[in-house]
Amino acid sequence: MSLVEYIQIWVIAFVTLSLFSFLYRDNPFYKLSEHIFAGLSAGYYFGLIWHAVILQQMIDPMFDNGKWWLFIPGILGVLMFSRFSRKYSWISRLSLAFVMGNTAGIFLLSELHGKVLPQMQSTMLSLGFENGLGSFLLALIVVVGVISTLTYFYFSKEHKGLLGGVARIGIWFIMISFGAHFGYTVMARISLLIGRVQFLYFDWIGSIINLFS
Amino acid sequence: MTILLVFAYILLILIGAFLLYMAFKTDDRRYIYAAVAFYVIFPVIVTLKLPITTSPEVKQLYDAVEALPDSSTVMLTFDYYPSTLAETEPMSHAALHHLFRKDCKVITMTTIPLGGPSIAERVTRKLAEEYNKVYGIDFVNLGYKANYVAVLKGMGTSIETIYPTDNSGTRLSEIPMMENIENYSDIDFIFVVADNSIVDYWISIVNAQYNNPVGTGVTAVMAPRYFAYISSGQMTGMLGGMKGAAEYETLLNKPAAANMGMTSQSLVHLFIIFSVIAGNIIFLTSKKGRDGKRT
Repeated sequence: MSLVEYIQIWVIAFVTLSLFSFLYRDNPFYKLSEHIFAGLSAGYYFGLIWHAVILQQMIDPMFDNGKWWLFIPGILGVLMFSRFSRKYSWISRLSLAFVMGNTAGIFLLSELHGKVLPQMQSTMLSLGFENGLGSFLLALIVVVGVISTLTYFYFSKEHKGLLGGVARIGIWFIMISFGAHFGYTVMARISLLIGRVQFLYFDWIGSIINLFS
Repeated sequence: MTILLVFAYILLILIGAFLLYMAFKTDDRRYIYAAVAFYVIFPVIVTLKLPITTSPEVKQLYDAVEALPDSSTVMLTFDYYPSTLAETEPMSHAALHHLFRKDCKVITMTTIPLGGPSIAERVTRKLAEEYNKVYGIDFVNLGYKANYVAVLKGMGTSIETIYPTDNSGTRLSEIPMMENIENYSDIDFIFVVADNSIVDYWISIVNAQYNNPVGTGVTAVMAPRYFAYISSGQMTGMLGGMKGAAEYETLLNKPAAANMGMTSQSLVHLFIIFSVIAGNIIFLTSKKGRDGKRT
């Protein structure tokens, strides 16, 4: 293991432990790590955007390949900075209008064709027994779940009588969905902790053992 | 050995019960933190292993990759930030093991600026070395490009227009592997590993408009909402969080980081379930609970 690798591991270990120290109480080590992270991310992001977007996608093609029309998106980008002035902030709306129109055009098709229609199609299931009882029950759960959940979000009529009853079934489906989300979220957060513990044990303590052996 | 294991499990239960008792007694949540830390650290130090079963969505993804003809071209994305490495990196590792083992041509890319390009480079080079794969012939790293919607849409027409060069600045026209790869129609499978909603666009733009099969590895937080895409056939299998990665490693017979973490995961989950049940019993049997007060 090289000296650079040792330094890398020790810096990562220090920052990890500093962040974990917040679980006990707020302290200067936690604050230091938090600020390092914020500053470092901003600097790295700026450098990367400068290189990967402004240089590679605008300046280089303009000067190397003669794509002079790229100055138009460049100007639209510069116009966004007018938001810092109260008097001229309206100019930034030109850029925003372009972004909104462009985004709406792209997403209209992709959302409809890629999400709404296929998802609607997959909920239109046959409620027959041709594929067996298990298949019928699953289809029934999907159909009842979709109808009752949509009913819960129908607010133009008070949830009373039949409508109220169906909406209550919808709440149960929503609650089960929240439960599944919560369970998975717990798993995600614990996974992150496991990742850090594995790093501290195998890499950091491993590097200490390596150093003295 | 069995006696030692039984002793270890009894120790785990006793320490967990003691910390939970102290948390309820003192009303100090730090005892819960200590218990969670203990259940995570203990299996890492003392190697405990619980069995791992395979879910249908993981098997579906494994089978889809397995069914690809040898030397197929696969696009593997590294659409994740370093903050979720514990969940996502084992997925990328497992995917590359599988793809390189099948002699697939792998194109890697990322739409994540913070860490994405370097993670893709590090992981791919490491696995390529293990399988003796040569850069430019067996794999290519396209790197990062901003504005993912434009990137995903643009690659449907021409990959080279979006990525004129690879991650290290070599022109795509000079890379032998990219000679016959023009756009999505030359790619047999797309394996998306992501920790954000970019997965939606791989489905709604690439799968829906270009008919490319898309398999995914996503963080556990994201997993529940993507089951609908598996049911509708828009997604060819999914790895959900560390568990999904561990299952894929098991199917590949390459147990690694995710497998190692699953015992800790299971123990913490058992502790949380037990804490929820115990907390409810204590509340319901208390005066407040009997009076029906919630706080």
